[in-house]
Amino acid sequence: MLNRRTLLATLTAGSLLATSGFALAQDKMYIPLISKGFQHQFWQAVKAGADKAAAEFGVEVTFEGPDTEAQVDKQMDMLAAALAKKPAAIGFAALDSQAATPLLKQAQEAGIPIIAFDSGVDSDIPATTVTTDNLAAAALAADKMAELIGGAGKVALVVHDQTSRTGIDRRDGFVNEVKAKYPNIEIVDIQYGAGDQLQSTEITKAILTAHPDIKGIFGANEGSAIGVLNAIKETGTKGVVVIGYDSGKLQKDAIRSGEMAGAITQNPVGIGYETVKAAIAAVKGEKLPAKIDSGFKWYDKTNIDDPEIAAVLYD
Amino acid sequence: MTATPIATAKPRLLASGAQQKLLAFASLIVLLLFFSLASPNFLQTANILAILQATSVNGVLAIAATLVIITGGIDLSVGTLMTFTAVIAGVVLTFWGLAMPVGILAAIAAGAACGFISGSLIARMKIPPFIATLGMMLILKGLSLVISGTKPIYFNDTPSFPQLSTGSLIGALVPALPVPNGVMILFILALIISWVLNRTTLGRYCFALGSNEEAVRLSGVNADGWKVAIYALAGGICGIAGLLIASRLNSAQPALGQGYELDAIAAVVIGGTSLAGGRGSILGTIIGALIMSVLLNGLRILSVAQEWQTVVTGVIIIAAVYADMLRRRRAG
Amino acid sequence: MTEVIRMSGIEKRFPGVHALRGAQFDLMAGEVHALMGENGAGKSTLMKILSGIYAPDGGTLHVNGAEVRIAGPRAAQGLGIGIIHQELALMPDLTVAQNIFIGREPRSRWGVLDEAQINRDAEAIFAAMKVPVDPRAEVRSLTIAKQQMVEIAKALSFRSRILIMDEPTAALNDAETEELFAIIRRLKSEGVAIVYISHKMDEIRRISDRVTVMRDGAYVGTVAASDTPIETIITMMVGRELDQTAAEIPDLSAAPVALEVSGLSRGRMVRDVSFTLRRGEILGFAGLMGAGRTEVARVIFGADPRDGGKIIVHGKERQIRTPQDAVAAGIGYLSEDRKHFGLALGIDVRGNIALTSLERFSDRFLRVDDAALAKIAANYIGSLAIRTPSDRQEVRLLSGGNQQKVVIAKWLLRDCDILIFDEPTRGIDVGAKAEIYRLLQSPAEAGKAIIVISSELPEVLRLSHRIAVMCEGRLTGILPGGPATSQQEIMRLATQRDTAPQGASA
Repeated sequence: MLNRRTLLATLTAGSLLATSGFALAQDKMYIPLISKGFQHQFWQAVKAGADKAAAEFGVEVTFEGPDTEAQVDKQMDMLAAALAKKPAAIGFAALDSQAATPLLKQAQEAGIPIIAFDSGVDSDIPATTVTTDNLAAAALAADKMAELIGGAGKVALVVHDQTSRTGIDRRDGFVNEVKAKYPNIEIVDIQYGAGDQLQSTEITKAILTAHPDIKGIFGANEGSAIGVLNAIKETGTKGVVVIGYDSGKLQKDAIRSGEMAGAITQNPVGIGYETVKAAIAAVKGEKLPAKIDSGFKWYDKTNIDDPEIAAVLYD
Repeated sequence: MTATPIATAKPRLLASGAQQKLLAFASLIVLLLFFSLASPNFLQTANILAILQATSVNGVLAIAATLVIITGGIDLSVGTLMTFTAVIAGVVLTFWGLAMPVGILAAIAAGAACGFISGSLIARMKIPPFIATLGMMLILKGLSLVISGTKPIYFNDTPSFPQLSTGSLIGALVPALPVPNGVMILFILALIISWVLNRTTLGRYCFALGSNEEAVRLSGVNADGWKVAIYALAGGICGIAGLLIASRLNSAQPALGQGYELDAIAAVVIGGTSLAGGRGSILGTIIGALIMSVLLNGLRILSVAQEWQTVVTGVIIIAAVYADMLRRRRAG
Repeated sequence: MTEVIRMSGIEKRFPGVHALRGAQFDLMAGEVHALMGENGAGKSTLMKILSGIYAPDGGTLHVNGAEVRIAGPRAAQGLGIGIIHQELALMPDLTVAQNIFIGREPRSRWGVLDEAQINRDAEAIFAAMKVPVDPRAEVRSLTIAKQQMVEIAKALSFRSRILIMDEPTAALNDAETEELFAIIRRLKSEGVAIVYISHKMDEIRRISDRVTVMRDGAYVGTVAASDTPIETIITMMVGRELDQTAAEIPDLSAAPVALEVSGLSRGRMVRDVSFTLRRGEILGFAGLMGAGRTEVARVIFGADPRDGGKIIVHGKERQIRTPQDAVAAGIGYLSEDRKHFGLALGIDVRGNIALTSLERFSDRFLRVDDAALAKIAANYIGSLAIRTPSDRQEVRLLSGGNQQKVVIAKWLLRDCDILIFDEPTRGIDVGAKAEIYRLLQSPAEAGKAIIVISSELPEVLRLSHRIAVMCEGRLTGILPGGPATSQQEIMRLATQRDTAPQGASA
């Protein structure tokens, strides 16, 4: 009796959910995107871009990512499930390229093209990588920083991590630009806060304490940048130039109010869109460049509401 | 007043544990049937192997959690302990360049040592299990990051290491059945621990402690000593989980681990082990772990949105535990 | 007969309590020796020392003529001493055989258990006891009586020559008790020495050879069970001087009835209980542990469901199904276990006093009027003389007596007309008791109806206007309060069993 009831309930719940699955016509080209995250605004914007492309080109797209960027194994389970669905192509942003290699090889053998996106995949398997040129974008942040602090003084970086491609590129892009062009600017500290707002806040507080004469801080992703802002607010520090990365409501508000001088925005919507577009091209056997730049922009108080900028910003 | 009739214990068709296992097993079968019917992509060798592979780590962790939960305790540190042992393996194999068996032993020993510490905090210092293992969870998370320098440690110098989990001894013998070693390790471990629970003193005291700790003490048993031993064994099993995940990812990922304890506990609970202690089984836990990964995989195959996958998992956990409670209430 | 146990001059102190004062006890092979005394007389403590659970602070202990020190339960088992605890010390999730052999399972190499062996051994023990118990059954599935048999089997499996039974019949019905007695007689005939702790007078007479009485942790005397009148034993148990300040009994014949209970029943613990309680009256409930007094209170309060009976409050029958219903009917219950049921220990004095009346002090947005609460709390702290640094002090930091006052304040504030106090002075030192008594008397003078449940006879005698005595779930009589009633009379009612068969024949 009980057994039967439980089973029935399970069945009902299952079939309710499954209707969405059945609704997807099987003859459409199916392209799953496995990303590095899911809940974060940035990834939701990528998803929005992918959905947009899906509607435009008439393909089926799903978007999944683990809860935190540490869950490498969960991402692999997602990739394995995606492969089982015999997709036309897969969009993939690896948390750990090495760990994913066996599955990617499996896809390669099955003739499923892989389109890397965002931080990409450290491997020659992907047909192409849709990404922001983070080195160039961070160099632009360094130029803006130099301009805002008058070309001299101490600056620091709060970066999300030192292992991912984006972390490394944004750090190196900024540091190399400063070294090459601004001899009077001294980079006094580079700290890593896992992109976590709270952790980044504490790190920034420590930097502010150690270097009271600091002129500017660069937060290398959304979580880092908001952490920097929080620390400045909580300590009541004045006159430090903050440059952020990506968007999100908090950064946008801070830029409008002047707490943040400006930020680099990638084009997450563009990443999602271009990934799907590249995937379709790959399926059709078209030639793809090794890299597809999805673009970046500097934005501040003056241009935040320009339609061209507003289109790539997200809340 | 009538006297209670004096009778021998009611003969039961199945022990209560068996009933729950049956219930869980039936649910698993229903899930498998449902997903097989719903999508032709589900019941494919590759996908089934992917489900088993996804179960291996959580399954091993859940075995460790089962031992502790049967004693009436809880271990929140299984996830980060797993990571810690993976990092230890990384240190031994990659940083020190020692041979693979040394790394394997080191990881398991480190796990057992941490379990020993948790157990001692609980049994000797009388710190509640929730608190003691919460503390250990954070300590181990931090130590993993410190030791690894917050970077993943890759096992590129030990080329055979990934084989530990992803290779297939069976596949080498029977090419049609390429079951990954990680999955075989899970099943063999389950058999061993199941045997330990049912056939050895340590297992007996697991149930006895969870059933009535004071009675165990009054029977002249070294209750504290056994409790420490059980936590140490659970820790050693976490070491095996650490090896499996490190081998699967070919790297020790120091930031991973937190949250995995909840998946493990969920598998244990779905498998019918009582959080109050005293009853539970490894078979139930394995079924519980399988239910979780079949569910997740199946929902993915059906392209159910990720938000809803989480919702369904939550519903299943509550439903499983409620069904178990109903059954027990009926059993009186 | 040979002497197997001699304990003399045994001392034991717990923090704040001198539990045993030079206690002594001896035991012969093949006898059943009853150990009696009021609650808290030290019987269980003495036996826990004998079974190695407590270490004595002083005194000597001889087993089979040799002086020994018993280091723990294991050592006691080694000496052939087995104990059957009042709260059964079994593991419900394990099988009968697994319970019996816990801690000394026969095993082969690598600690592999030999389940068949323990089942066989357990079967043999039950066969010797002539009791049909399935060794493979889960203990959870057995009746309490059967579980008791498992405990005995466990003790016997140590080849125990000395068996301590602490209130073994407390949870047994008559048929089950007979079953137990048959086993006791069989063991006795095999030369096993048995210590039998019980409150049930008739049982003592039927089963035991000698009776040792303890009082306040000290030895009173040992008498032969067969030719000593029950009165003598009761006098030995009660012994102490009566508190001279007896209750002043007001004439309440004209006072309206506040509570009428008729035919109240719940299982075996409350059987057809009927009584009335007038406004201004203090009705004492006396009885031995397990007589069903707390159960009556809990049923009236709606904390436990009732099988039958009526509860009439101020002339109107009330359907009380939950404690909320009871409170709405104006009944307050001050639980026996303050820490578990009466107080929120981590909350301050003010919060606890207001706990049941919060709705009165909050507006429709559920905002609490803290100023008014503070004033009320200050009032009660003054009027009940609660010793606390402020009304913001956490209750757990107060002494037992002051905690009790906070509970009383809580119910006074709730404006209940009927207050049930369950063991109001348990765990409270002697000095504070007098104060609590005054606290109980003043609401009665103000017209509230009070029920006091107490296991201490002098307390019942001192407080009560009338005394209801219970035994095994039945109300065996209502005695007038004051000097007219003696403790002996109460004890007689408290041990007046319904179905007591006479004689020691089985």
